[in-house]
Amino acid sequence: MKARWFFTMVIAALIFLAGYAALFVAPDEKTMHAVQRIFYFHLPSWIAMFSALCVVFYANVAYLVTKKRKFDALGVAGVEVGVMCCTIGLITGPLWARPVWGIWWTWDARLTTTFILWILYISYLLLRVLLEDPEKKATLSAIFGIFAFLDVPLVYLSNRLWRTQHPQPVIAGGNGSGLDPLMGKVLLLCVVAVFCVMVLVYIDRYRLELLRNECDELKFEIESRNTQPANLGATSTGRAGS
Amino acid sequence: MKNFEFLLTAWIVVWAVFFAYEITVARRITQVREEIARLRQQLNGN
Amino acid sequence: MTTVRAAGILLGKELRLEFRSRELLSATIIFALVVVVLFSFAFDPTAAESRRYGPGLLWIAFLFAGSLMLNPSFSREQNNETLDALRLAPISPFAILLGKMLANFIFMSVAELILVPVFAVLYNISLAGIVWRLALVLMLGTIGLTVTGTVFSAVSAHARMRELLLPLLLLPILTPLLIASVESTASLFQEQPALDRTWVAFLAGFDIVFLTASWLLSDYLLDE
Repeated sequence: MKARWFFTMVIAALIFLAGYAALFVAPDEKTMHAVQRIFYFHLPSWIAMFSALCVVFYANVAYLVTKKRKFDALGVAGVEVGVMCCTIGLITGPLWARPVWGIWWTWDARLTTTFILWILYISYLLLRVLLEDPEKKATLSAIFGIFAFLDVPLVYLSNRLWRTQHPQPVIAGGNGSGLDPLMGKVLLLCVVAVFCVMVLVYIDRYRLELLRNECDELKFEIESRNTQPANLGATSTGRAGS
Repeated sequence: MKNFEFLLTAWIVVWAVFFAYEITVARRITQVREEIARLRQQLNGN
Repeated sequence: MTTVRAAGILLGKELRLEFRSRELLSATIIFALVVVVLFSFAFDPTAAESRRYGPGLLWIAFLFAGSLMLNPSFSREQNNETLDALRLAPISPFAILLGKMLANFIFMSVAELILVPVFAVLYNISLAGIVWRLALVLMLGTIGLTVTGTVFSAVSAHARMRELLLPLLLLPILTPLLIASVESTASLFQEQPALDRTWVAFLAGFDIVFLTASWLLSDYLLDE
């Protein structure tokens, strides 16, 4: 318990530090000025999302192999956190693009892939809602999760191939190509801060899922005790028949 | 700062989303913990 | 019994079932036709536009019709719980899956064989000289569609709202297939038709990835 409070404080401090650095310490970008600072949260949210979804893939495979509920819990928690990070990225992106390039959105390879990824993992959550039996829910969503994860590089590759054939307005990613060293340090700080927040939320969501499973098990046990009438003692007397 | 409202909105979105999610998760954890305690009592009472 | 032989027997069963009533096949073909016709009302394409948007329209019609056609794959089994009986047989789960994939592939291909000439007539696109190459592209695209679709049909068979869920799960996963198929078909519809090696290779790769994944996961998919 104490350890958790300690880490929460550390992470809160990290957030404030990262925020301060992003807003005031990082040098102003030449052409985009202030609005470019969105980048310090935009990129970290992608890194957080990608990390969460890698853990989800591991959890999906691990569940199928071991059938342990904790991996199912790890999977669903990761998908929720991943979708959340993806949403943050999909919102901060256009907020950055609009003032800088005048457009909210474009269908380039990266954005399209991210959008499809977002839809895929929301479908994962919807699938879980629509499946009632807990074991089927875990197994089938794990299978879908594996397919989704395998699909993502294919989505990216196909969009990349496609978009290089059709010339597109060039969107400079600002993704670290020739980044000013101070910007680099601020970026690293923000990546660490957002990543830690993601891990914290992930752990909590995982704990929630484990607790829910425990709750369901208790309910099941109570129910099974209620359906057995109170003659448990009689069966041990060894009397046959009747 | 030019285009400050975009920067501010983005900043708010990032932390508001994380914060709101964390709060809902924490609340649900408390609820489930209470229910588990209740169920345990019921089980031991039988 | 080997997997392939078992799949073959199951394929025979599926084909016999379907050709008794032919309802699934007819519904699929008519639905795809409706999509094709609706497009002409919605967009009223010129000849140049037909050539440009034709491939996209064709594949969207196939994807929509396909995702509707794939639903009964496994939901049919649920009515009489025949799937349990199948799994009791001494055959691998992949044999069951493969049998259904092959059946769906054949149904879809029959539908396409009828639809592509109709489409060519309606939109004045000449198929002369490209028939075999087009058949290759259609085959690779259909393999991807039916492999993934059959797996997701098994996944969504246990869920509520499965008729809506299957397209929702399937179509986003198939976006790379859609792009690759459309681009391959488009390069065949050009003035100088050419088989785009990159996209065809991509299609083959897509098929291999998901067929392999289906094979590896088939045990878990049909496990109860």
